[in-house]
Amino acid sequence: MLEYAWLIPVFPFVAFLLIALLPKRTLWWESGAVYAIAGTLCSLVLSMLVVWSVLNGETLTTDTPKFKWLEVGDFSLEFGVWIDQLTALMLVVVSIVGTLVVVYSGGYMREEGEGRRRYYAEITLFISVMFGLVISDNYLQMFIFWELVGLCSYLLIGFWYEKPSAASAAKRAFIVTRVGDIMFMAGIIILFKYVGSLDFETLFSESAAVAVPTDMMILATALIFGGAIGKSAQFPLHEWLPDAMEGPTTVSALIHAATMVKAGVYLVARSYPLLIHAPESLLFVAVIGGVTAILAATVALAANDIKRVLAYSTISQLGYMILGLGAGGYLVIYANSPGGYAAATFHLMNHAFFKALLFLCAGSVIHAIGTNDMRLMGGLGKKMKITSLTMLIGALAISGIPPFSGFWSKDEVLAAVWHAGEFDSVFFLLWLMGIVTAFMTAFYMFRMWFMTFAGEPRSEYHAHESPRIMTVPLMILAGLAMTSGFVLFIGDGFKGFMESSIEGLLHGAEHESLVDIAAEIFTDPLTYVSLTLAVVGIMLARKIYLTPGFDRSMFSRGFNGKLQRALENRWYISKFYDDFAVKVVYGLSLIADKFDRYVIDGLVNGFAFLGGNTGNFIRRLQDGNVQRYASLILVGICLLLILVLYILPWGG
Amino acid sequence: MEILNTLEPFLPQLLLILFATLMPGLDYLFKDKRIVAFASLIPLIAIMGAVVTWLFTDSWTPPGSSIALVEINLFSGLFMLVFLAVGIIVVLTSMDFVRTDKNQGEYYALILLAIAGMTLVASAADLFVIFVGLEIAGISSFALSGFRKHEKRSAEAATKYFIIGGFSSALTLFAISLFYGIAGTTNISAMGAAMDASFTSFEGSESFALLATVLVLAGFGFKVALVPFHMWAPDVYEGAPTPISGLLAAASKKMGFAAFFKVFLIGLIVTKSDWDIAIAILAIITMTVGNLIAVSQTNIKRMLAYSSVAQAGYILIALPVGTQYAVAGALFHILTHAFMKSGAFMVVAGMASCAIGEKLDDFKGLGKRSPFLAISMTLFLFSLAGIPPLAGFASKFVLFSSAVYGSSDPGPSWLIWLAVAAVLNSALSLYYYARVIKYMYMEKGSEAKVKVPRSTTAAIAISLAMTIVLGVYFDAVMDLCLRAAEAFSNLPIGF
Repeated sequence: MLEYAWLIPVFPFVAFLLIALLPKRTLWWESGAVYAIAGTLCSLVLSMLVVWSVLNGETLTTDTPKFKWLEVGDFSLEFGVWIDQLTALMLVVVSIVGTLVVVYSGGYMREEGEGRRRYYAEITLFISVMFGLVISDNYLQMFIFWELVGLCSYLLIGFWYEKPSAASAAKRAFIVTRVGDIMFMAGIIILFKYVGSLDFETLFSESAAVAVPTDMMILATALIFGGAIGKSAQFPLHEWLPDAMEGPTTVSALIHAATMVKAGVYLVARSYPLLIHAPESLLFVAVIGGVTAILAATVALAANDIKRVLAYSTISQLGYMILGLGAGGYLVIYANSPGGYAAATFHLMNHAFFKALLFLCAGSVIHAIGTNDMRLMGGLGKKMKITSLTMLIGALAISGIPPFSGFWSKDEVLAAVWHAGEFDSVFFLLWLMGIVTAFMTAFYMFRMWFMTFAGEPRSEYHAHESPRIMTVPLMILAGLAMTSGFVLFIGDGFKGFMESSIEGLLHGAEHESLVDIAAEIFTDPLTYVSLTLAVVGIMLARKIYLTPGFDRSMFSRGFNGKLQRALENRWYISKFYDDFAVKVVYGLSLIADKFDRYVIDGLVNGFAFLGGNTGNFIRRLQDGNVQRYASLILVGICLLLILVLYILPWGG
Repeated sequence: MEILNTLEPFLPQLLLILFATLMPGLDYLFKDKRIVAFASLIPLIAIMGAVVTWLFTDSWTPPGSSIALVEINLFSGLFMLVFLAVGIIVVLTSMDFVRTDKNQGEYYALILLAIAGMTLVASAADLFVIFVGLEIAGISSFALSGFRKHEKRSAEAATKYFIIGGFSSALTLFAISLFYGIAGTTNISAMGAAMDASFTSFEGSESFALLATVLVLAGFGFKVALVPFHMWAPDVYEGAPTPISGLLAAASKKMGFAAFFKVFLIGLIVTKSDWDIAIAILAIITMTVGNLIAVSQTNIKRMLAYSSVAQAGYILIALPVGTQYAVAGALFHILTHAFMKSGAFMVVAGMASCAIGEKLDDFKGLGKRSPFLAISMTLFLFSLAGIPPLAGFASKFVLFSSAVYGSSDPGPSWLIWLAVAAVLNSALSLYYYARVIKYMYMEKGSEAKVKVPRSTTAAIAISLAMTIVLGVYFDAVMDLCLRAAEAFSNLPIGF
């Protein structure tokens, strides 16, 4: 089955071509949605078959099939397919969420008219290149698709390009992630310099690790992680993601919550065989993850835009995964355990389902009442039963309430971080940040839910439940959010499954039985600490936002007020970037512009002026022109002769 | 029977000329001129079929030549492929473009004759065969440029083209006579061998050789439109019927390069160190001037003409680098340029068939009016600018990297500047290519739909398919080009 895996990205790409090129009348229903759904469905089926093969122990990591594109001397650029457990995990996420989002779009984008064609073309292209990214078998191919998902993200954020805020958000996302991309590229150039190949198969071998000096390995891995900082919106490059909410909500769900932003996490997980040779980089990864998790969670506390709450919560959860991967690397090196790695990737999958669900629910609400502002909502639960119920499931999952999926994976991540604390006490601090984040997550998610669905309406609106085409994907995702945590206990267990993808790095780790895993979770006092905090968070949100007449003005007075304003202004980070961009970069670009305008343009215009005017001048002299051409040829010959006969021999 | 054996290598030309003589008769007999056009496709497709079987399968190879005038090898095969493919594309587009014109029989006959001349140059092994081929193709193209003789700018273009063409032929002929005087032969490989000996035998012959080199450079430089021998090109491309502009840019120019490679890299290889810097300078001037002037053009045909001038500058890189790899790169670029440039001209021709002009402003809103034309044009222009994964990127990549590889030992290190200049020029060219795309998609223009004739659509579709296929199957195409470049067995491999 695995040899057909290269077809997975092909189906959505064909759909993209059909939607983009077919005449309008053959696009049928919803301007091409049929092709988009068909393309993603085919990929979904094929992905599932591939995943089934992987579950049966097949992988494709040696002698990967390749399509050689160009070869120059000793360098070649090849496109290959690499399938292991990590790839399978990403295939599950991208294919399921991708298909559901495309189906949901059939209802959500109904009023877009002409723009729908562009939308379906771009979203199928995105799904195609995202598949291309996860099945890449070398860093260069991965980088190419990495850039392409960035391009699709740019196009889709700017979908309503006539809106200035959308256009500038698109630009911002593109430019900020570009900073990370350049680091990523620099990282792989370093690797190429020392190893002479970018194939995973070669790079991940022991001999390659020896070929790279230790300090260069640290630099290269840190730079590659830089790519993840950009793409997965980690501090300090996280500010583009909330702005990216300017795109349609479906795009936020698919690209900016479930798939593309996971590419950074995937990159770190993929690079484990390199990272374990650079513990310094792992620590850096963990610290960035921990800081991002808590920082983003605080901003989410005060956000009033429903999509912004979800955006900051996405950043915070991505921070969790990155933190888990950093700690997991320590566990691989020092404890010979895949715990952290498995926990972070587990959280990646669970988060994809419940966050896509939350976004699509938010989309359903926005679709119904036409605003993003939670202060204008309230009481929607009665009118939108399915949406409110499914969103409640999503909120419980992300808050870490058992038996919903988030509980299992979040708990595993925190346990891994605590465990890593045995080897570097910084991890205890990071664990503390993680647990505080868990509390805040429960609080702001339920703040959002109560403000939206509970209480009385705070403005005039005519809400209605969304059509079936939107609610069915919600229900499927809600089902997944409830159950995806249990894969921890199915078959070999999730841990055992993921463990096999980094087997080479572990030296015969003992296989934990599923009973042990369950026992570990429920006997660990830390589990109850985080659970209690989550419940307290929910109760607190209920107290503040659901008690009639609760005086919330105390939050806007004195120190609290300052804090609240700081949070509302996203800790002024965004403002700092804007000021920096305006004062420093703009200043520099003004200088560059002057140079460009007077020196380069002067040259270009001068030449063009000369050329254009000579042409016009000559054309006016009807008789003269051919003679002029001929005499120019003669002048040319004379100059060439002088050059060849006198100047060059004299010089050489 | 002896005569038949002698004629065998000329079969393609004979077939083309035979059909060319039939065309006026067919024109007289049939009222539906499409029959004439289809008849002219017969020899093109037939020879194309033979060449393709030869190049891509092992089932058939052409007969060897019993005389020293021509040599048919993979190098000439690849050039023939280009000429025939461009011929087919041009005929398909013309079917609609000249549908209301008189004398269509002659029009198609001249196209066939021009291609006969070009294929002759492709297989030539003798200076005089090159000259005859150049003249057959040249005289046919003069007439074709002035095909609409009542149209002022068409007639003007033909006159200019003819006068400058005659001048350049004289220069070429003068150079050939000098070469004969020095080497005592007009056979190109014999000339290469005799050159060295004659320098030692009589004094001053080296200077004569250089004089002849410069003259032949000017003569061929006219064909490929090198600066400063390019002045005719924009006027003629603008004035000629658009399919013919495509023929000139995509095929006639490539014929000049076939001649260039044979004469310079086989016949004049011993004096390479005398002319390589001069040609390198000429290459840089040509690409830079071509691109800079293209920036200010508002007529698309003129813009494409100047872009062709610049592309000639890129291809010329292969001469001073002088490795098999560089020749393969040049062949690759000739192949890809033939499709992307003729494709772009055919888009302009397709618009003209629908009574739309050829000014930049006429492209406003084309994305809405004809998505097919707009997306094709976009891809052609992106390919010309060298955006991956399109064909233009692949061939430029090989061509430019050949200069980088050539600059390391044993080649001279200044070759690297050719690559630098070429890359900077490519960046500059993106400006005027992207501007057309901006006009097509961002600017609002007329709303009326454009209906493109079916034959033109076919021609554009062929070019488009090739522009993508040649880029995607980079490796296979490059393999073929490298094998073709083995014709220059005297050159180093180059990487």
